[in-house]
Amino acid sequence: MTATDGFSRRHLLATGAAGAMVLSAPGLVRAQAAPVKLGILQPVTGNLAQDGEYGRIGAEAAINEINQAGGIKSLGGARIEMVFGDARSNPEAGTQEVERMHAEGVAAVVGGFASPICLAASQAASRYDLPYVVDVGVSDQIVSRGLKNTFRFGPGFGTCTRVAIENLVKLNDAAGKPAKTVVLVHEDGLFGTGLAKLMNERLSALGFQILETIAHPTPARDMSNVALRIRALNPDLVIPSSYYGEFVLLARTMQQQRIRPKGIYAVLNGAASNFRFVKEFPDAALNVMDCNHWADPRKPKTAELRRQVEATGRFWLYNVPLNYSAVKLTADAIERAGSRDRVKIIEALAASTFSDHIMPYGPTKFENGQNMGAAPVNTQVQGGDIKVIFPDAFADAKPVFPVVG
Amino acid sequence: MTAYRSILLVVLGLAALPLAAPALVGAGIFAGANTLYNLMVFVLIIALAAQGWNLAGGYGGQFSFGHAAFFGTGAYAQAILQTRYGINPWAALVAAVALGALVGAVIGFLAFRARLRGSYFALVTLAFAEVFRILANAAPITGGAAGTLVPLDVRWANLQFASREAFYYLALAFVALVLLLNRLVERSRFGTYLVAVRENEDAARALGVDTLQVKLKAITLSAAITALAGALYTQKFLYVDANIAYGAWISIEALLAPIVGGIGTVFGPLVGALTLIGLGEAAKVAIHALFGSAIPGVDLVVYGVLLILVIAFAPRGVIGLLDRRAR
Repeated sequence: MTATDGFSRRHLLATGAAGAMVLSAPGLVRAQAAPVKLGILQPVTGNLAQDGEYGRIGAEAAINEINQAGGIKSLGGARIEMVFGDARSNPEAGTQEVERMHAEGVAAVVGGFASPICLAASQAASRYDLPYVVDVGVSDQIVSRGLKNTFRFGPGFGTCTRVAIENLVKLNDAAGKPAKTVVLVHEDGLFGTGLAKLMNERLSALGFQILETIAHPTPARDMSNVALRIRALNPDLVIPSSYYGEFVLLARTMQQQRIRPKGIYAVLNGAASNFRFVKEFPDAALNVMDCNHWADPRKPKTAELRRQVEATGRFWLYNVPLNYSAVKLTADAIERAGSRDRVKIIEALAASTFSDHIMPYGPTKFENGQNMGAAPVNTQVQGGDIKVIFPDAFADAKPVFPVVG
Repeated sequence: MTAYRSILLVVLGLAALPLAAPALVGAGIFAGANTLYNLMVFVLIIALAAQGWNLAGGYGGQFSFGHAAFFGTGAYAQAILQTRYGINPWAALVAAVALGALVGAVIGFLAFRARLRGSYFALVTLAFAEVFRILANAAPITGGAAGTLVPLDVRWANLQFASREAFYYLALAFVALVLLLNRLVERSRFGTYLVAVRENEDAARALGVDTLQVKLKAITLSAAITALAGALYTQKFLYVDANIAYGAWISIEALLAPIVGGIGTVFGPLVGALTLIGLGEAAKVAIHALFGSAIPGVDLVVYGVLLILVIAFAPRGVIGLLDRRAR
C-alpha cells in the first residue's frame, strides 16, 4: 500500500510538473507575440497603378525596417504583418478591401492614394473604429467630415495651393518681378480645376495677368493645340497642373516647338518632380519647377531609402517617402498605445508628436485629423537632378529664374 | 403562376444568403460576413442598373452605350438634394428616380424623334453621358471636380444603416421589385409591342404599333430603374464625383451584365452581375490562395479570359446555357 502511495505521490508530482510545463509552453510562445496586422491599401492595378506600386514599396520598406529593429516593443516585440489590398483605382474596390482587412483583424490601415478612394475607404473603416492614415489624397473633404478614425499625414489641397502661390510671389519678387503674364494649363479633374480656380482669383489679386486658362482631359493623347495656344499668347509663366502623361507631352511639345517662357511653375504635378521624366526627357525637364510632396533631403534616412529604391531599378517618387513615413507614424502610435485595441491606437495617433519620419514636416500634430505641420516644397530640375529651391531652411539649390533673359 | 414562382424562389434564395455566410467564411472564401454583404450590395446595385438597361436594350433592342447618364443623374440627385436642400434621403430617393426618368424621356424623345437606331442611337447616348460628365465636372452645384460628399450619419431615417445586412436587404427588395416589374412587362401588351419593335420596327409600325411611344415608355422606365441604382450607390458609398456618376465604367457594367447573363430575359442582368463580379472576386481569392498577394492584376487577366469563354460558349448568356442544359 505504502509503495503504491509513494508511487502515486511521485507520479502525481511528475505529472503535475510535466503538465505545468506543457501549459506554460504556449504561454512562452505567446509572449514572443503574435504579429500585429497592418492594412496597406494601394491602387496597384488600373490607371493609378504606378502611384500605387510606389506607395506599396514605401510601406514595405518601413515595415521591413521596423521588423528588423525588433518589431513593436511595447507588444513584446510583435512583428508587423502586412495585409495588402489592391484598391484597383476605384472607391468600390477600396471599401471591399477595407472590409476584408477588418475581417482579417488589422490594427490600422494606411494608404489610399487618390481622394475618392481615401474618402470611401476611410468611411468604411470608421464603421469599425479602424484607424485610417491617408498617405496622399489631397481633397480637404477627407479631414472635414469629423471622422475620428481618419488622419492625414501629408498636406491637403488648401495648404498646397497657399504655399505654391506664396512661393511663386517670393520667387518672382527675388528675381525683380520678371513675370507678369500667366497661362494656366490644367487637367479637368479635382486637382486641376480647383487649382486653376484658386490661381485665377489669387494671382489676379497679386498683380499677375492671367492670359488664358486652358483645360484638358485626362488622358489626352495630343497637347500640340495647347502648346500652339501658349506660343500665340507668349506668356512669361506657364502654370501646368496635370498628371504624368499629359505634362510630359506638353513639356516635350513645347521643347520641340521652341516655346520658351521665363518659367514653368507646376503645382502638384504628376511629372515635374518625377525622376522618370527627368531621366527620360532631360532637355524637356530642365528648369521645370514644381510645388509638391517631397522628402526632406537633410535627413540621412532619405538618402538611404532613395539608394535602396534605386538599387532595385526604380525611380524615386514622392509616394515612397510619404508611405514610408505614414507607416512609421502608425507603428509609433501602436507602440505608444501598447495595445492592439483600435480605439487606443486612434487616441495615440491623435496625440502623436512623431518626428522620426523623412518628410520636411517637423513633429506631427493632428488637428481634426490633419497633420498641421505638413507642407509641400518647391523643387526645380537642375543638371539632371531634382533640387529643392524652397523653403530656404533646407533648399539645396538656388532657383534658376527667369530661364531666358 | 410558374412565371412568378421562379422569381419568388430566386429572391428567397438570395434572402437566405446570410444563412450561408458562416459556411462561406469558414471555407475561407470570405474573410468575414460583412465582406460578403459589402460585395453583394455592389453586385445588386450593378444588377439594378443592368435591369434598367435590359428593359430598353434587351426587350426593346435599343442598345444604349450611355446608361451612365441615368445612373449619374440618380446618384447626383440623391447626393445634392440631401446636402444642398436638406431633403430627407428617402424622399430624395423618390425624386432621384423621377429625375432619372425625366432625363430618360428627354434623351429618348430627342433620339427617337430623330429616328436614330442601332449604332447611331448607341453613339448619341454615349455622347449624352459624356456631356453630362463634363458638365458635372465643371458645375458648382455638383461640387465640380471635388464631387459631393454625403455626411456620415447612421440612422434609419437617413437611409444609412449600422449593419451591412440591412442595406443588402434593401437593395435586394428593389431588385426583387424590378424582377417582378420585368415579368409583368414581359407578359403585357406593352412588352409584346416592345419585342415587336426589337424584331422589326418597320413591320411593327405597319401593324399599327406606335413605335415612338413604345420606345419612349421603355427608355423612361429603363432610366428610372438605372437612376435608382445610382441613388443607392450614393447611399452606400456616400460620395460621388463626375467620373463615378457619369463615367463610362457604369455604362459598360450595365450592358455587359445582361449580355453575359442573358439579354432580354428577366434574370439575365442579375445572373450577369453575379457572374461578372463573382468571377472577378473568385479569381482574386483563387490567385491569393495559390500565389499569395504577390501578383496584383493577375486576377483581372483570369477574369478577362473567363469572360471571353462565357461569351464564346454561351452566346445567349448564362441563362441561355442553363436553358440548353435543361432541355
